[in-house]
Amino acid sequence: MSIRVEKITKRFARFAALSSVDLEIAPGELVALLGPSGSGKTTLLRVIAGLEFPEASGRVLFGERDVTDLNAYKRKAGFVFQHYALFAHMSVFENIAFSMRVLPRRQRPTDQEIRERVLRLLEAVQLTGFEKRLPTQLSGGQRQRVAFARALAIEPEVLLLDEPFGALDAKVRKSLRRWLREFHDRIGLTTIFVTHDQEEAFEVADRVVLIDKGVIQQIGTPSELRAAPANPFVADFLDIGH
Amino acid sequence: MAGASTFSIPSRRSSARPAASDPWFVKWVLIGVTVSFFSLFLFLPLFVVFQEAFSKGAVAYMKAFQDSATRHAIGLTLLVAAIAVPLNTVFGIVAAWSVTRYRFRGRSFLITLIDLPLWVSPVIGGLIYVLVFGAQGWLGPWLQAHDIRIIFAVPGIVLATVFVTFPFVARGLIPLMQAQGIKEEEAALTLGANGWQIFFRITLPKIKWGLLYGIILCNARAMGEFGAVSVVSGHIRGMTNTMPLHIEILYNEYQFAAAFAVASVLALLALVTLFLKTYSEWRAEQQLSEGSGDQNL
Repeated sequence: MSIRVEKITKRFARFAALSSVDLEIAPGELVALLGPSGSGKTTLLRVIAGLEFPEASGRVLFGERDVTDLNAYKRKAGFVFQHYALFAHMSVFENIAFSMRVLPRRQRPTDQEIRERVLRLLEAVQLTGFEKRLPTQLSGGQRQRVAFARALAIEPEVLLLDEPFGALDAKVRKSLRRWLREFHDRIGLTTIFVTHDQEEAFEVADRVVLIDKGVIQQIGTPSELRAAPANPFVADFLDIGH
Repeated sequence: MAGASTFSIPSRRSSARPAASDPWFVKWVLIGVTVSFFSLFLFLPLFVVFQEAFSKGAVAYMKAFQDSATRHAIGLTLLVAAIAVPLNTVFGIVAAWSVTRYRFRGRSFLITLIDLPLWVSPVIGGLIYVLVFGAQGWLGPWLQAHDIRIIFAVPGIVLATVFVTFPFVARGLIPLMQAQGIKEEEAALTLGANGWQIFFRITLPKIKWGLLYGIILCNARAMGEFGAVSVVSGHIRGMTNTMPLHIEILYNEYQFAAAFAVASVLALLALVTLFLKTYSEWRAEQQLSEGSGDQNL
């Protein structure tokens, strides 16, 4: 599923977090939103997820479907939060089953089907056997993978990751990065992830979207960005040309 | 200069271990003062209440509760609490939700307003209802024309109690909900849950101990309130007397044993409240640290 955003402007009080942002992401692509803190990258991700709403001019489209006016719970966008936001009072199993349990009765799978799907998802994120644990009994990397499985349980059309490795230590980060790339290649879901870490963006993403002050500074593959930075900010942020 | 620097080093060290730096007698004098203060002003009266209640024996104690006016007062107190506490529980959740989840103009003013009954004298709380609903009040003539009694009747007592007890649930929840943040609720939203599902499956389990804490305090105040209720009640025996008002009447009529017998029930309630409050406070803190532990790792 492709993602298209058009003329997205978002203001908080007087401060413009995003100014007329256009962006198109091809089906199956893995794209990084890269920028310094306060650049507006997380706001853009939240607008795409339906957790923030843009000014009237903006549009968000998943494929041909205009989701601009849909609330987050109707968008079918899988979202992984920076600090996982797992439900602390629920087991790993119930965290992942949550999205199925809140479905209207007629669409809700049976308990047996829910069980099968949860166990399959746990297997996909290599956490088989962890279903009875509470989130507090898991390591950071394990929690992050539960958050992935939970987001995938809604059978999302797109996957949105907010600083997915931001809260982890350097070693776990490196291995999860590789895992994300492999995982993405296996399931082929259109994925956007936010990061402030240039190395992470360049290593994992097909294309990198560099944002600063609520404006897209440059879009391109890692090698394109390195070869031809569009302006002094890009050159400076990527630390090239000095 | 040398003097100043040698002086500053131990003071820095002492700030790291403040308890150890005070001489032992300061510690014991301060603890002693606190304990004697509590004994004198809290434990001694509590003891006296029970001693007086049983001064004429257990039979007399039980007999005090066979009096119809006493039974009515207990019933009325339970009724008022049964209305005021659920009402303020709902109100408290709504208020805490709105001031912690939304940013709007006048938000901090609203938080101050929630506290109003805590810093206004309860007598004023009662008086405003007399001024609005009393015979000489704004709505007095209209109410009289329609034969509706609020002041010197049960509705007035309920109103006054609701007024005095409305901060407790909101107060208990606001700091808790602020500290917990809304990430889990946002996650539930992206997983397809609607507002009710988010509230009942995510928020309520997160705040349940803080909520219980607020409800317990609210209930204790609802049953024990004297001032505001006294103004609107009219003290009609067997009709508009709550337990605290009834105790005062019994006492003024020199029925000391009966007065203290009823008072001992309120005192017991206070002890139960204290126990439940401590327990729920402890659980709320535990829940909060579990939640934040999840954030930090």
